[in-house]
Amino acid sequence: MTTDKDHIKKSDAEYEIDTLTNKKLLKDHEYDGIRELDNQLPSWWKWLFIITIVFSVVYLIRLWVFRADDLIQRKEFDKEMANAKANAPKVETIEIALLTDATSLANGKETWTKICAVCHLVDGGGLVGPNMTDNYWIHGNTIEDLFNVTTTGVIEKGMISYKDQFSVRQRLEVTSYILTELVGSTPAVAKEPQGELYE
Amino acid sequence: MELQKFTYDNRLSRLFMNATIFWGLIGMVVGLTIALEMIFPHLSGGISWLSFGRLRPLHTNAVIFAFVGNGMFTGIYYSTPRLLKTPMFSEMLGKIHFWGWQLIIVAAAITLPLGITVGKEYAELEWPIDIAIALIWVVFGINLIMTMVKRRVKHIYVAIWFYIATFVTVAVLHIVNSISVPVSLLKSYPIYAGIQDALVQWWYGHNAVAFFLTTPYLGLMYYFLPKAANRPVYSYKLSIIHFWALIFLYIWAGPHHLLYSALPDWAQALGVVFSVMLIAPSWGGMINGLLTLRGAWDKVRESPVLKMFVVAITAYGMSTFEGPMLSLKSVNAISHFTDWTIAHVHIGALGWNGMLTFGMLYWLMPRLYNTKLYSIKMANAHFWLATTGMLFFAIPLYFAGFTQSLMWKEFTEEGYLQYPNFIETVVQILPMYYLRAFGGVLYLTGVVLMIINLIKTAKAGLFVVSEEDQAPALHTADGHGKEKGHRLVESKPILFTILVLIAILIGGIIEFVPMFMVKSNVPTIANVQPYTPLELQGRDIYLREGCYNCHSQMVRPFRSEVERYGDYTKAGETVYDHPFQFGSRRTGPDLARSGVKSGPMYKPDSWHYNHFLEPQKMVAQSIMPPYPWLIKNDLDISTTPRKIKVMQILGVPYPEGYADKANDDLKKQANKIAQGLRDGGIQVEDTKEVIALIAYIQRLGTDIYNTEGSKFSEK
Repeated sequence: MTTDKDHIKKSDAEYEIDTLTNKKLLKDHEYDGIRELDNQLPSWWKWLFIITIVFSVVYLIRLWVFRADDLIQRKEFDKEMANAKANAPKVETIEIALLTDATSLANGKETWTKICAVCHLVDGGGLVGPNMTDNYWIHGNTIEDLFNVTTTGVIEKGMISYKDQFSVRQRLEVTSYILTELVGSTPAVAKEPQGELYE
Repeated sequence: MELQKFTYDNRLSRLFMNATIFWGLIGMVVGLTIALEMIFPHLSGGISWLSFGRLRPLHTNAVIFAFVGNGMFTGIYYSTPRLLKTPMFSEMLGKIHFWGWQLIIVAAAITLPLGITVGKEYAELEWPIDIAIALIWVVFGINLIMTMVKRRVKHIYVAIWFYIATFVTVAVLHIVNSISVPVSLLKSYPIYAGIQDALVQWWYGHNAVAFFLTTPYLGLMYYFLPKAANRPVYSYKLSIIHFWALIFLYIWAGPHHLLYSALPDWAQALGVVFSVMLIAPSWGGMINGLLTLRGAWDKVRESPVLKMFVVAITAYGMSTFEGPMLSLKSVNAISHFTDWTIAHVHIGALGWNGMLTFGMLYWLMPRLYNTKLYSIKMANAHFWLATTGMLFFAIPLYFAGFTQSLMWKEFTEEGYLQYPNFIETVVQILPMYYLRAFGGVLYLTGVVLMIINLIKTAKAGLFVVSEEDQAPALHTADGHGKEKGHRLVESKPILFTILVLIAILIGGIIEFVPMFMVKSNVPTIANVQPYTPLELQGRDIYLREGCYNCHSQMVRPFRSEVERYGDYTKAGETVYDHPFQFGSRRTGPDLARSGVKSGPMYKPDSWHYNHFLEPQKMVAQSIMPPYPWLIKNDLDISTTPRKIKVMQILGVPYPEGYADKANDDLKKQANKIAQGLRDGGIQVEDTKEVIALIAYIQRLGTDIYNTEGSKFSEK
């Protein structure tokens, strides 16, 4: 590679001058009419390159030599989970009893539409999951019964446990919504009754 | 010195140019189609070969290998003879290259919509086509190298350096990544599995970007920009440094596609740092391009060609800055699996490759037809349509990617996911998909204008079949040994090619050898077992339908993902996955734990059945297309024995002689699933494809919880 010093040593006769930028054109560098200048690398560019190299060396040393926790994803994950656990709000102790206030029922309806409707349909008529508007129940019809189903799930039928996805209050809200609003309503298409009839 | 006369044959350039325009149009129309399918999931009309999962690979392959591929060959076949002052070594090899390449594209355009695929992104084509690609690529390489050998210019110009790097590296990437064992004429399994396959695939995938979309186009930039601007290249020194730094560093960067995956930390770290170190070498190319225009900016205002070059180079600078940023783990944690990636690659594709190609075509067409461009106005209109189209494409997708990622990660105060139902995060960003499609329409409109403009230009002129030129013969003794360093290497193209090969092999070797040789990189999990024959067949349907284009199978070790999907994915769980199916975009939820009954992703068989038939029946706002043919078609079980045998060749531990009784097990398992569905009131036969796919989905992610022992009946 030719350096600046070499260039200075050479006589000016080796160069022609680019008239627009007043820079020297390299002699013998002509390819199908394309000429080449030999401008210095911009210093910010050189520094950018050097900084990224230094960053890389430090990064690899931190991982390979010092085993820095924030670069080991197993440790990063454990830390995130531990933090979440430490900051988890205390579990609200609420009595498992039917909620009837409008706010709770509205929240319950929201959860129903977002989550439960996937298998039970928005109007509760039932699809993969059973019809929730009639009075036939597979696992009982009290608020406790319904709440327990959301907590433990009915895995063999495809109903998963929602205890890690929804709080006690949220599960109580949605089961209250079922018992107060859906049961007794008339869905567009009702799935055939399943379970026992509760009068 | 005595001058020798010779001619440049323009016919190959013209052929490749026409192919560029034709396939560009096709590739972009398919792109717009799938953009619309994301808004209107029923657009495919229940027709298998129009579904998103099959058309998306067609779009990416058409744009990369057909549009950009023919674009690079247009420029290479035009510039190489002129830079070396000699005709191409062989017009015959050139023709074989051209027609071979077009046949490969046609084969891709037929097989991909039919679902004939290996299931690895940007390397979907099946083994006979892969072999054809390798052969045609070698034909191209021989022609390039032999043209250099019989050149009349002592030193090879920087554009040629980049062409050499393209030829050498793409050959290595393609061959190493495509090695597979055939099951039949149109089906094969890659020899690598799981996390190792992922490392090889993204070494390939990332460097396809580097050496198919970047280096050849830098070569074109170094030829067509100084030509069009009539300016000298800014800095020869910079050319040298950024060329070697770029090709040496790029090859290491593949693992940045696997950050927070089951890839070991050391390999991820290499992906991070080599991506960061790429900023300066990439920007070296940008600087050398933009500063070549110093003193000529007044010309840029008037010339649509130069304007397009400027936007292309700027887009190159943007995406090569963004790339390293996306490779930082903290940024990647947000961007990965979202539309951010889609926006990023389209800045590269629409901006860098698209605009550079358009500029080159506007410059070249009048020269090939010895006339003037039909309409500067139309070309200017194209420039603005393309630029605004690009912005309408990318900005909404940046917004969509960021929004969706934050929604995935948001927790309520009680510590539950704020948006536990995945579809909410999809519905939120749907308006952005409309804007993206609008951007696509603008961009495509510009291309149509260009096509009209170029056809009118060609009609106004007369094709110049060949051009005469003259130059003194090359005397290798010139210079009398006073040349040193890089100048010397430039005068020895074969040596240059060998040095390039060495530079690009180092990174791959250092990453692959430990990953394949050191056992601790893929810790064994004892209860991970091979797929049952039915699950294996189901997996092949998953590949065929291109499910991986929208669903990932890689739960990252984040609280938000573990809560949403289940335990994060371990390297040892993937050891029988030929090929791996991590995916790169979560248009739908991750499926790595979809079979885990105690997990949050589980759905019963009947749900899956109904969902394949009519997704919106199960998730009203879903943008997944229906798959009625899975329910209609019988599963082809004649392939089972051969598939098991190939898996055994690849080291999957099925019991000896299992191939012959595999179909018995398959039928038993199918019967059990179908009977369960029938008990639930769904009328379905044991033999349908959907049964196999359900079996596969219900198997996913379950092995680490399996306590039942071997699934395979011993002799």
